[in-house]
Amino acid sequence: MTKTNYIAGSGPSRRTVLKGVGAAAGAATGLYAPFVHAQTKTIRFLNGEPSRESVRAMQFAAAQYEKEKGITVQMDSVPAGGAFDKVQASIKGGRPYDIATLIFVGDVLLLAEEGKLAPINDIVNKYDWGPKILFPVDGDNYWYPYDYNLCWINYRKDLYDAQGLSEPTNWDGLLSNLGALKGDGANQLPHGIVHPIGSNGATNYTAFGYMWANGVQLFDDEWNIILDSPEMAPLVGEYLDFMASLSQYMPPAPAQAGWPNLVGDFQTDKISHTPGTGRLIDTMNVRMPERASNVSSFLYPSMRGDMFAVNHGYDGWVVLDTAMTDEAMKFLEWFSDEHLINFLHTSPVHYQPTRLDIYEDARWLAHPDIDTFKHIIDMQERVLSDENVVIRSIDTEGPYADARAGKVFRSYALPEMLQNKMLKNLSNEECIKAAAEKMRSAIAG
Amino acid sequence: MNQLSTGSRIALNVLALLAVAYSFFPVYWMIISSFRDDASLYGNTSLVPGPFSLDNYEILLGLTDYPTWFMNSLLVAGGTVAITLVVSVLISYSVTRLKFRGKSLIIGTMLYAYMFPPMMLAIPLYSLFVRAGIDDTRLSLMISHCTLTLPLGVWLLWGFFKQIPEDIEEAAMVDGCSRIKAFVLVVLPLALPGLTTVAIFSFLLSWTDYTFALVMIGSDYLKTLPAGLSTMIGLYELRWGELMAGSTLIALPLLIMFMFLSRYFISGLAAGAVKG
Amino acid sequence: MRGERTLYSILGVAVLLTGLLILYPAYHALELSFQKLDSFVSEPEWVGFANYGTVLRLPEFWAAFGRGIVFALSTITLQVVFGIAFAMLLNAQIPLKPLVRGITVLPYLLPTIIVALTFQWMLDPTNGVMSDAVGLFGMDYIPWGENGAVAMSLVIFLSVWIWTPFVTLAFLAGLQSVPDELYEAARVDGATAWQRFWHITLPQLRPVLTVVVLLRAIWMFNKFDIIWLTTRGGPLEATEHLPVLAYRKTFEMYQLGEGAAVSAISFLILSVFIFVYFYFFPLDEKGS
Repeated sequence: MTKTNYIAGSGPSRRTVLKGVGAAAGAATGLYAPFVHAQTKTIRFLNGEPSRESVRAMQFAAAQYEKEKGITVQMDSVPAGGAFDKVQASIKGGRPYDIATLIFVGDVLLLAEEGKLAPINDIVNKYDWGPKILFPVDGDNYWYPYDYNLCWINYRKDLYDAQGLSEPTNWDGLLSNLGALKGDGANQLPHGIVHPIGSNGATNYTAFGYMWANGVQLFDDEWNIILDSPEMAPLVGEYLDFMASLSQYMPPAPAQAGWPNLVGDFQTDKISHTPGTGRLIDTMNVRMPERASNVSSFLYPSMRGDMFAVNHGYDGWVVLDTAMTDEAMKFLEWFSDEHLINFLHTSPVHYQPTRLDIYEDARWLAHPDIDTFKHIIDMQERVLSDENVVIRSIDTEGPYADARAGKVFRSYALPEMLQNKMLKNLSNEECIKAAAEKMRSAIAG
Repeated sequence: MNQLSTGSRIALNVLALLAVAYSFFPVYWMIISSFRDDASLYGNTSLVPGPFSLDNYEILLGLTDYPTWFMNSLLVAGGTVAITLVVSVLISYSVTRLKFRGKSLIIGTMLYAYMFPPMMLAIPLYSLFVRAGIDDTRLSLMISHCTLTLPLGVWLLWGFFKQIPEDIEEAAMVDGCSRIKAFVLVVLPLALPGLTTVAIFSFLLSWTDYTFALVMIGSDYLKTLPAGLSTMIGLYELRWGELMAGSTLIALPLLIMFMFLSRYFISGLAAGAVKG
Repeated sequence: MRGERTLYSILGVAVLLTGLLILYPAYHALELSFQKLDSFVSEPEWVGFANYGTVLRLPEFWAAFGRGIVFALSTITLQVVFGIAFAMLLNAQIPLKPLVRGITVLPYLLPTIIVALTFQWMLDPTNGVMSDAVGLFGMDYIPWGENGAVAMSLVIFLSVWIWTPFVTLAFLAGLQSVPDELYEAARVDGATAWQRFWHITLPQLRPVLTVVVLLRAIWMFNKFDIIWLTTRGGPLEATEHLPVLAYRKTFEMYQLGEGAAVSAISFLILSVFIFVYFYFFPLDEKGS
């Protein structure tokens, strides 16, 4: 039985159910034909970007494709966080999506290893990609990344200008800028920055940029946890001390902060800095354009100012191994040539292109926001080639893409390290040791 | 009842006021927060509503397809109520009127589905629907909601039917009614408070479900309110005002429905719980 | 009895349908607990009771079990105590009684996600109304994200806030069925209010209490959403009980078999509890 048959084998017609579920597996092959026939008309696409503009761009592309090629593309949209569950249900139910959005490389690997995905080398090899965005499995590409989704620090440019501050290049610089902007005087705000430290995705995504910049790695080349090694532990310790000193510039209770605080407090003059992505700028630009123009961004600095970091967010599409795989590939290739840029324009600063050719593409450059926020777009582009910038995230750590990094991400060992430091005042050594142990037990299973 | 002293009467009034404040304040706060603009939301906290602003609703409704999702929620919840009522009436009535061993086992086993995380149950259920050719339909979502509402429905109605003496139906049947007719004309009306309770429970459960809606429904035009709005809540740029507006939009239909039905709900729930 | 055949066939069909829809998924979940797999689409490997062995040896499991007991016992106790108090209040002579009754039931109607969001907003350290309120007592905010005991108290409070009305209504109906003459007689004998409550009200409520405690126990022991949506089991696992552990294993740690085993064990624990409970408080004494 090929893999395709295996998937279809659990999706027989309703006659089988009448005969009894037990007989389904054996009878499936014979009853398979009508099912395939019913499916050949439509490509099913699971979109993980449910904002209205993005969905519209997707549906517009689908309608064009049907007009041009006579093949229907059904676009289903779910929040990206629910996409993997939905993909699993679709496979398990015997009606897998043909193309799906995934947001964790670990999930891509898992499906690839189970033979549920089709390699898309031909499409991927057509283009020139930025660094650290393709995650090949044994030399095959299963993953079409559509944005970098990087996290950096957004700040109030107007206040910086008014006070004559410049973008910080190290931790002391950041602390002194935060100090200058905190207060109730002119060009000052009540607080400096919010960094969530609770056990949640917001912390995993926004809190560790300083640590990456400081040169910390979680794994060695053999997938051993080295957070508490003699090389790493001092660097992690510096990071923990820095976070503790940042807390004097944070609104109370960072352990209780989440996305609404990061965004809301920044937009309502509570804080002068906030970690985040281009999405913050895009939404501000829609709701309050004059304020959006006051926002600029810098990278996570390191302690010594020698390195910088952005936290990796990446999103992408996979093609599943189904009866429609060939058609799905054709669609993806067509979409990627004809409509990807439209899609990226639905959140122009946020959807940072993964393909280097797009940065030169006149169609992409034509969007007015690309010009309005040129200072940020330039920074995004610079990140890709600057040797002093690292693009890192917990779930992409390690010598190669692997599910173990994802397990560490979801164990929340690192947010707990921050909680131990900032809430319980444990020593750096204890915090680091506890986190390393938790990470080890997470990848042991 | 005796007349109370003035002191106790005042004490009672104060207690009642406290009880109302305790129960109602969060709902009140959710609603007035949703009608405030950024400045007043993140500024000085005033317990009095206002200044009135529709900003949050404009942003939220501009991002969503609220009317479609609202209709879907209504249809799915309505269907869930109908199926739950019919099936739980059939099962619980039959169980109370028949004499066989292992009755309570049937009722008991039904509660077991609650033990597992819903997602664990949703995935195998979804594969059943695909096999039956009804995946990605409102019907499949109704049926999945019934897996949660039926056990409760059977459990509650069992209590009701147990209380209705069999003589009543026997008498009707002597008068020439068939069993079914006797049941519909005589027994059902007596169980009306119980039926109302089950209906409201099922409605609430279906109206608020997210997990099953995520798994069962793919097409945007079939989404229910929680599934639809969660796509918005999942977006990180939402702020408290918009979150409160979204919450109000989900809760409002329930509050309105409750205004009209509270009497039945309270009497039915009380009766069901006591006699179950 | 006439029409028995009709009844049996109706019952048969209905039970078969429900069985398929409820038991098949439950069976499937149970089956997972004997398998090793990373996702719902992985090729499962049969490992017998290995997952159970692993889970039972985990210190987290026993810690979560203990927290679950604390959570369930306190929520049930508080729901019952508040439920009786509310019921007695609502049964007394108060103005606008139907309105007051309606409003006190309101929390029970709200979807859990909405309760969680609303309270998180009210508790927001900088902008929340509760932070202003505790400011009157010299506190800056309520540190539910920082302090494990506060976090546990918060999820207990929220559960009590949401689900007490269920208990209130049950007791209200019970109170209304207590004959007034009993109270009159007691009053004539000079019994104090407390004595009347202890010797008349409470014994009359006993049957209701039996059912309510059982139902609440089943629900509170399995209660997942309010904790997950409010604290996600944190801070530092202070509110992680068995359902949260099962969820994290299944959906975050890619250990589906162990997640299912946690669910199955808590199911077993609950079944034993129900069995023992029925032994001491048989339901059928006043039933059919």
